[in-house]
Amino acid sequence: MSLPPLLVQTAGSLAAILALAGLAWWLKLGGAPTLADEAALQSAADEVADGFEVADYALSHDRTAALVRDSQGRIMIIRRHGNRFAGRILGTGACASVTDAGLSVDCGERRFGPVHLDLDEPQAWAEAINRLSEGSDA
Amino acid sequence: MLEFNPVQYAVPLFVIAVLAEMIWAKFRAPQAYEPKDTLVSLLFGLGSTVAGALLGGFAVWAFFAAYEFRVFDMGPEWWAVWWAWPVCFILDDLKYYWVHRAGHRIRWMWAAHVNHHSSQHYNLSTALRQTWTGPLTFGFLFAVPLVLLGFHPVMIAICGGFNLIYQFWIHTEAIKRMPRWFEAVMNTPSHHRVHHATNPRYLDRNYAGVFIVWDKLFGTFTPEVDDEAIRYGIVKQLGSFNLLWAVFHEWVGMISDILRAPWRHKLSYLLREPGWSHDGSRETSDMIRARWEQRTGRGAALQNSVADQNRIAGAQEAA
Repeated sequence: MSLPPLLVQTAGSLAAILALAGLAWWLKLGGAPTLADEAALQSAADEVADGFEVADYALSHDRTAALVRDSQGRIMIIRRHGNRFAGRILGTGACASVTDAGLSVDCGERRFGPVHLDLDEPQAWAEAINRLSEGSDA
Repeated sequence: MLEFNPVQYAVPLFVIAVLAEMIWAKFRAPQAYEPKDTLVSLLFGLGSTVAGALLGGFAVWAFFAAYEFRVFDMGPEWWAVWWAWPVCFILDDLKYYWVHRAGHRIRWMWAAHVNHHSSQHYNLSTALRQTWTGPLTFGFLFAVPLVLLGFHPVMIAICGGFNLIYQFWIHTEAIKRMPRWFEAVMNTPSHHRVHHATNPRYLDRNYAGVFIVWDKLFGTFTPEVDDEAIRYGIVKQLGSFNLLWAVFHEWVGMISDILRAPWRHKLSYLLREPGWSHDGSRETSDMIRARWEQRTGRGAALQNSVADQNRIAGAQEAA
């Protein structure tokens, strides 16, 4: 019995793909960058929204996520994604809740997912984020 | 002859090259690769092959139908007309420039092409992040003039295959610059890094496939500068390694926008540039670049960008 060529090619390609991805893991490529200082935070914020100037921030203790605010009052959530950073400016669909571990922020995009930040004083940020959706109800 | 697909033969070379770049990365730039990102990129490549085989039939039929109406006839042994091959390759690359430019300036086309830009990394595995949904756009129509001129569809497909193979090696940070004469004529890693960048100065630039001269000719060329770190990906980074979301996210967004938009704006969400919105609530690449120029005081010479002057989508200003 002969297999269809497309199936054979697909199976061979899949094997090569898994081997290469496994090699990337084995070689420990990637790394785990952190938001080490304000410069790193500013750089990450600038990537999310060009020109976003960080006026105030709260950095998760593990430095993998942060909330930042600019002088216009816009709030941005930043989190590590692989070995890069991704973020969103929070809008009316965002919400936050204080948890035992700190703060959980949902930007409203299911695929972006909730972001957990280990913060000392999460309450003020939670209130500021939840006010964003209240503003839309007014 | 009719069965020849150069890309199939190049796949082992792709694998070896990715392997070599990973080893380079291990010693010189470990951050250049991220295992999950690499896995998604490679699965993109595999899926695009399958999707092409399943969905490409209509384009093939259209090409052969159009070939019946060709202006010039190279005869039954068209493949033996030696001069037709380099001419076809060059014209196919010109076609690539325009279909690629349309891929960035028309949201319907962008919905398919965004796949290729969805990684925040730039390495050889990124090159394999090819679209699954290209056959669902009208991109194939850009090749019809070549068919009508008399180039056999198989000749065009083979030239297109070699074009794709050429573009593989330029997806790397391992090569800084090629010799000056080469940079002047050919698309290179440096030129294509610009194309994959989200830095405002680089948005929607360097659409070339093989010959960078098209960008210089049509005013979309921007050289890479050494004093600004490049950020790769898309303006709104996905923040997800979900393969299916990476494949279909822009289709979901576009269809959602069309369904929600007032009737008179629905077509604009299909045909205008990515980022356009009828209420001005989002930003196009031109808007982002203009704001950056205003903020930094740079780019006075870039005012009245070529993209503004020569819009494919026939767009004027965002409402």
